[in-house]
Amino acid sequence: MRKLLVAAVLAAVVAGLATAAWGAAKAPKRVSSASNAGSALVKCGKTRLIGLMAPFTGPAASIGVNQVHWANFFKNRYNKTHKKKIKFVNEDTMLGAANGTAEAVKGAQALSSNRGVLGVVGPAGSNEVKATTGALKGAGLAWVSGSATNTTLTTDGTRRGFFFRTVPPDSSQSKTVSGYMVNTLKVKRVYIVDDQEAYSIGLADEVQAQLRAKGVSVSRDGVSQSQSDFSAIINKIPRNTQLVYLPWQLPPKGKAFGQQMKTLGRGGIKLMGSDGLFDPLFSSLGNNVYDSFFPVNPSDARVAAFKRSHGGNSELFGAPSYVAAQVVTAAIDRACKDGKATRAEVRGQIKRTSIGVKASLLGLPVKFDRGGDMVKRPFGIYHSVKGVFVRVA
Amino acid sequence: MRSFSPPVDWSLFFGELVSGLTLGSIYALIALGYTMVYGILKLLNFAHGDVYMVGAFVAFFVLQWLGGPLSPAVTGWLAIAIMFAVAMLACGALGVGIERFAYRPLRNAPRIAPLISALGVSIFLQNSALLLWGPQFRDYNTFDLIGVKSYNIGPNFFISNVQIFTIATSIALMIVLALLVARTRAGKAMRATSFDREAAEMMGISVDRVISFTFFVGSALAAAGGVMFGIVFGQIFSLMGFTAGLKGFTAAVVGGIGSIPGAMLGGFLIGLTEAFSTGYLPGGSTYANLYVFALLIGMFLIRPSGLLGSPVIKKV
Repeated sequence: MRKLLVAAVLAAVVAGLATAAWGAAKAPKRVSSASNAGSALVKCGKTRLIGLMAPFTGPAASIGVNQVHWANFFKNRYNKTHKKKIKFVNEDTMLGAANGTAEAVKGAQALSSNRGVLGVVGPAGSNEVKATTGALKGAGLAWVSGSATNTTLTTDGTRRGFFFRTVPPDSSQSKTVSGYMVNTLKVKRVYIVDDQEAYSIGLADEVQAQLRAKGVSVSRDGVSQSQSDFSAIINKIPRNTQLVYLPWQLPPKGKAFGQQMKTLGRGGIKLMGSDGLFDPLFSSLGNNVYDSFFPVNPSDARVAAFKRSHGGNSELFGAPSYVAAQVVTAAIDRACKDGKATRAEVRGQIKRTSIGVKASLLGLPVKFDRGGDMVKRPFGIYHSVKGVFVRVA
Repeated sequence: MRSFSPPVDWSLFFGELVSGLTLGSIYALIALGYTMVYGILKLLNFAHGDVYMVGAFVAFFVLQWLGGPLSPAVTGWLAIAIMFAVAMLACGALGVGIERFAYRPLRNAPRIAPLISALGVSIFLQNSALLLWGPQFRDYNTFDLIGVKSYNIGPNFFISNVQIFTIATSIALMIVLALLVARTRAGKAMRATSFDREAAEMMGISVDRVISFTFFVGSALAAAGGVMFGIVFGQIFSLMGFTAGLKGFTAAVVGGIGSIPGAMLGGFLIGLTEAFSTGYLPGGSTYANLYVFALLIGMFLIRPSGLLGSPVIKKV
């Protein structure tokens, strides 16, 4: 009887392995190796595949969904007016989840091995961009993020020619933020709390250096992204602090921090977030909340159309992802003129992107410099008025 | 000329003390479950942290069922009482179920078997929560539910109503538990089973029933801790049980595993270590866990049986 059981289990294992091997052999459009992936010719066909990497779920889902909505908004508009269609291959990166950037890397590997994918929109986080570089670059893919702002992503040379972004870098954000704090809010004592992620530390370092150069007294601390109890660190914030700066990525955490500040008698201190906290969760904390955010032209007709089709919400955090999808799609269109394209050709076309002010949702032309940043890249400052962010600078 | 060191920042000290006691209250409630189960079965129930997470979620869904924090069908504090009651009952039942199906069949197996089973249950609960409720943060919105107020009780000494509530409730629950163990028949049966299971069985005590009861009480206390976490810190998520469970376990070991007062003491000690290391030590906010687990290692080196644990006497 036992022998029979062992034989049955063995047979099941062998059958499983055989099925898997057969499936792998049959699986279409798998690239054979990363090295030749960039130059492999792909028939463009009627439907072009673009990878869409975003936090569909996870702690940052509230901002990830904005990006997904805007990217899909572009796709639907494009597909209505073009014979050749685009289709997104979705990969959920779960930004901020307990297993770090593992999901983003898995997603990048899946896109890399899908030969039909010619370009990628996303991922959202700077850490994710760093983590996925090996997989995406190794497969010859270009990727365009609509929210990764860490300055070094485009300056360290690692991703040159492969990575582009439709948002300004933190070097631009930090100048705007520190300038607003000093010149408009007239603060002299600032407390910065980073969240130990690449994006957060980079931005915090830059703002701290610029504030100190302007004679502001700056204290610095850090929390882990998985932390929910901020009371011990809030106790350390001196009561004469005028502003607490949170360059974070997770709006629920920003909200929790603000609420705990109120609980601990520090509700009167101004709170300023970065682009990652540009969310109703954070603005709902009250009138002493500020935030910095990407350039978006709110009077653009597409913003109004988006609002109409999304229950009156403009979800502006996702707007640069619309532009990212626009950039990738236009590049694929140009590369596919002869009916075939390689990923390298798409990369080359992205470098040559030139979207005029009228066609750009950002209210400024989109052209990339050698590093992959937009040539023009200002940041805006917003103030929470009755729980809604209003642009003030 | 005599130099003076700067005066002690009592505001910071008091703030960290309150934070530490609040956090410690939650750890103590988790630690009690660990220590009770260990005391009776000599089993490290690693699924206990996840029971705490389930408790937080059950209360969250009860709150939604009651109309949500913005428009609850009952007053805010009554809503919280209902959330506590339902979460504690549900997790008590969950604990009994876990014991019945994951541990009881292995009671006479080598000790490593139920330990692995406990890890399996932990992963099962975590992933079930991820599947059912997703990885998103859920917001208790305590501000809207009960209107969080903070009281100024001295020069820059602040304490909020939720902190007072958390500390007071957990102390009350610990007193109830202490009375239950010391003064009731069920408690006497628990002590007897813990002391010598076979002898207790021979004296007519239904050991299975006592063990089930222990799991019920321990899991209900963990659920109370989960609800408190949601109320104080505002947010809950599917993987919150892992770190909290680890801290609860550390608290139980530091206090002396198997000792109920030790678990309470250990919980408060861990909470205070975390808060004061954040407040006073270099890089404390980032590396608070380093200091907490250093305490655990230090305790093992100096007093392996924990603060209030009794040393194991081996027959030679």
